[in-house]
Amino acid sequence: MANDRTSLILRHPLTLMTALLAVWWLLPLGVKAFMRLTFWEFQAPSYYATSHLHDLQDYWAARVKSKNELIGANIDLARLNAAYSLRNQAAEATEAELQRLEELLDLPPLPEHRYEVARVVRRDMNAWWQRIIIRKGSVHGIREGQAVVFRDGVVGRVSEVYTYTAAVELITSREFRVAAHFAGDPRPVQFQGGLNASFHAPTGEVSTVPADKKASLTEPLELVSSRLGGVFPDGLHIGWVYQLEPGADGLFQSGLAKLDPELQSVQEVAVLIPLKPSEEPDIDALPPAR
Amino acid sequence: MTVNQPEPDFYVKRLFLLYGIIALCMLILVGGLAQKQLFQKEDYVEHMERQNYRRIILPGPRGNIYDRNGKLLVGNRPLFSAVVYLNDLRQEFREEYIRIVREARAHYQTLDRLETNLVARQNVVQRYLDDINVILGTEDEVDSREIERHFSQSLLLPFPLMTDLSGEEYARLIEQIPIDSPIQILISSTRYYPYESAAFHTLGYVSSSEEFEIGDLPGGDLLTFRAPAWIGRTGLEKQFNDRLQGETGTEIWTVDPGGFQYDRVEYVQPRKGDDLVTSLDIDMQRAAESAMGDKTGAVVALDVKSGEVLTLASMPNFDLNRLTPFISYTVDEEIREKGGWINRAIQGLYPPASTFKLITSMAGLRNGTLHHDTVFNCPGYLRVGRRLFHCAHRAGHGDESLSDAIRDSCNVYFYHAGLDTGVEAIAAEAKRFGLNTPTGINIPGETSRMLVPDPKWKEDRLYESWFEGDTANLSIGQGYLLVTPLQMATFVTSVARGRTNTKPTLLHYPEGRPEDDIGGEAIDLPPEDMEAIYEGMIEAGNSGTARRANLDGFPAAGKTGTAQVRKDGKPTTLAWYVGFAPADDPQIAIAVMVEGVPDETHYGGGSTAAPVAREVFRVYHRKMEEKAEAEAAMRNQEVAAR
Repeated sequence: MANDRTSLILRHPLTLMTALLAVWWLLPLGVKAFMRLTFWEFQAPSYYATSHLHDLQDYWAARVKSKNELIGANIDLARLNAAYSLRNQAAEATEAELQRLEELLDLPPLPEHRYEVARVVRRDMNAWWQRIIIRKGSVHGIREGQAVVFRDGVVGRVSEVYTYTAAVELITSREFRVAAHFAGDPRPVQFQGGLNASFHAPTGEVSTVPADKKASLTEPLELVSSRLGGVFPDGLHIGWVYQLEPGADGLFQSGLAKLDPELQSVQEVAVLIPLKPSEEPDIDALPPAR
Repeated sequence: MTVNQPEPDFYVKRLFLLYGIIALCMLILVGGLAQKQLFQKEDYVEHMERQNYRRIILPGPRGNIYDRNGKLLVGNRPLFSAVVYLNDLRQEFREEYIRIVREARAHYQTLDRLETNLVARQNVVQRYLDDINVILGTEDEVDSREIERHFSQSLLLPFPLMTDLSGEEYARLIEQIPIDSPIQILISSTRYYPYESAAFHTLGYVSSSEEFEIGDLPGGDLLTFRAPAWIGRTGLEKQFNDRLQGETGTEIWTVDPGGFQYDRVEYVQPRKGDDLVTSLDIDMQRAAESAMGDKTGAVVALDVKSGEVLTLASMPNFDLNRLTPFISYTVDEEIREKGGWINRAIQGLYPPASTFKLITSMAGLRNGTLHHDTVFNCPGYLRVGRRLFHCAHRAGHGDESLSDAIRDSCNVYFYHAGLDTGVEAIAAEAKRFGLNTPTGINIPGETSRMLVPDPKWKEDRLYESWFEGDTANLSIGQGYLLVTPLQMATFVTSVARGRTNTKPTLLHYPEGRPEDDIGGEAIDLPPEDMEAIYEGMIEAGNSGTARRANLDGFPAAGKTGTAQVRKDGKPTTLAWYVGFAPADDPQIAIAVMVEGVPDETHYGGGSTAAPVAREVFRVYHRKMEEKAEAEAAMRNQEVAAR
């Protein structure tokens, strides 16, 4: 009898699959969500291990490099360090100036973000998905909707959070929409990820651009993030717009934004975690306004 | 036992009968099918289309309105709204309905089906509005009546949750509302007035309406929903509505039996309307309105050469941006209380006072009862019948010639001139200059109730005889005479042109306006007679009653007037100024009228109206100089280039 049943299953795998799908369909939503989460957490160690193996691989790849190559890399690194030191100094000077002005005008400092740097452990970049998995999760304070950036600008927004990992929806995703503006012009425009297939230069769509803006191949417009949306800080690079087309309403234009190709190979990102009220600077402790 | 079996033929016959009946039935069925499929196909296709398709009419954005120098007077600004498409919420409506019913049953309550449906819809829509409230920190609530109205009348159109979002609110919502949410951020356009209250009455306002021309669009026989369009209600917006109105577009959707849309099968994009370039000069318009301040009245300035209206101001005015996207009750009340809905420039009827003395002069000159050198003595009054008619200068002007009388605005001189000339000739002269008919300006609402009285009119309307006192009053622009400020502006423009009429226009003709369109015939008075009138007006500007309108380097020829009127049953005055400048080569003509306030302020033409005209002349003069400098610079550049 048991043999008959086994043979039935073996002979009719489609029947089995249909039955399983029917059972899955009938399961309550809560059970499905729990199973999905469990499955993800079950997979997470393998992502982790793979990521660490990649790091190890990179390490050994570096170890086998010749002395001359290492010296060259070191020189490049020293240059980068020097450049970043300069930018850091400029940022510190700007920060000090801002603080001075805030004190002068008796303004409380704006609550900002802290950074949680995370390695990318997996990329899903195809016609279906445009997302990356990062090696930080809820235990590191990451929550859904938080902004994710890298050295060249906006990466995306946290879409799913697990204990030690999180999924980030990239700005190349069709599901990603954000308020932005052009550098030097505070009027908000809308940016939405485009239809990005694998191995193609990433693009997005920019719309509700005021009719008076002009963009050309020689004078492209830089699209940067806007503080207005409440998720991203102001001025982070999103992409370049080379051409704008007027809409039928005569009020707005729309165009294609070319995004940073580095998005497809980004190794490390920073999640911007808004400071909690307890982490904000104590306004009363600030020096009195002059 | 034997059974009598029927003969086989009997069965065969019955079978044939049965077959025949079946065949007949089949034939009827096939025939019916053929009838419906082959011959009534068109009817059924049409019926199916009507039942399964819905058409949405999308109005095009309105064109912009510019002043003569290309400055934007009326444009469109984006109107961001958060909306939901109710058809996306069908499932949720059903679930909410079931939840409410179950809850009621658990408490042994009975529910009205219709009312429960209403509550279910309201609850669901409120949940989405609450999502927006959380993001924006607001506490808006949905109006259940609005939902039902929308559900029954405009199901295929988006239901607005929150309208006229600010840029920041728009940014927050597009960033924080998921793309696949039923909440959509819709961008439409509404009117925007960069100069706010300037040319309030002339530009006019628009309001939302579903009554508009849709043109030749596909799906004319389908059940149609119209997205509201902006329709001009007053001013240029109304006059040129057809030009400004964009071309409508359409969407045709297939719908399910419940009327909910699920697939768009056709789309015609709406197109923006044509732009309109007006003759207004917004800098002069603003100067006029600024000079009027809080006073009530009107200022009309025309280009003498073309009859184009440079300024058409009526005060009080209001910020047009407050009238869009709709006029709130408080705004309407505020405007109503201040009498702001009346366009005094074209609808206000006033006695023109002493500015009319120019007509009296020309009537006398034309009839030979007055000559350019005629002198009358002004002792400060004139007895007409049993009544004393005073001059504004009670001590009297002494001997005055025609030009002196115009300069000093001597009433006694014109009493004499008017009485000698007679009412019929004065009325005929006024009519010759078109003071009894609308000017025909291309803006809606111009009154046609202006009045140039004569004995017949008085007999017909008031059943009274015409007295000499009436003629004396008419001679100085008082009594029954009623004109609009626009009429006085076209009159003084005509005087400057040496013509009897000028048809004003609010459209700009960069290549020049055809002379035939401007209208009028030659005044046809001897040059020395006209010279006396011009001299009087120039002297009035130099040293007479109109001197406060004069600018250094830009002399004007003008005439002031101060009418005695009753407003709300109380006596007050109307201050007038009409004139043109420069006096030797007229370019701009103007009429200013300021209403006095009973029991408070009494205005005089020279002290109140003339300074308003001077401010308009100042801007015009400055622009002329700037234009001349620019042309000179360009010539120099061309010479240098050669």
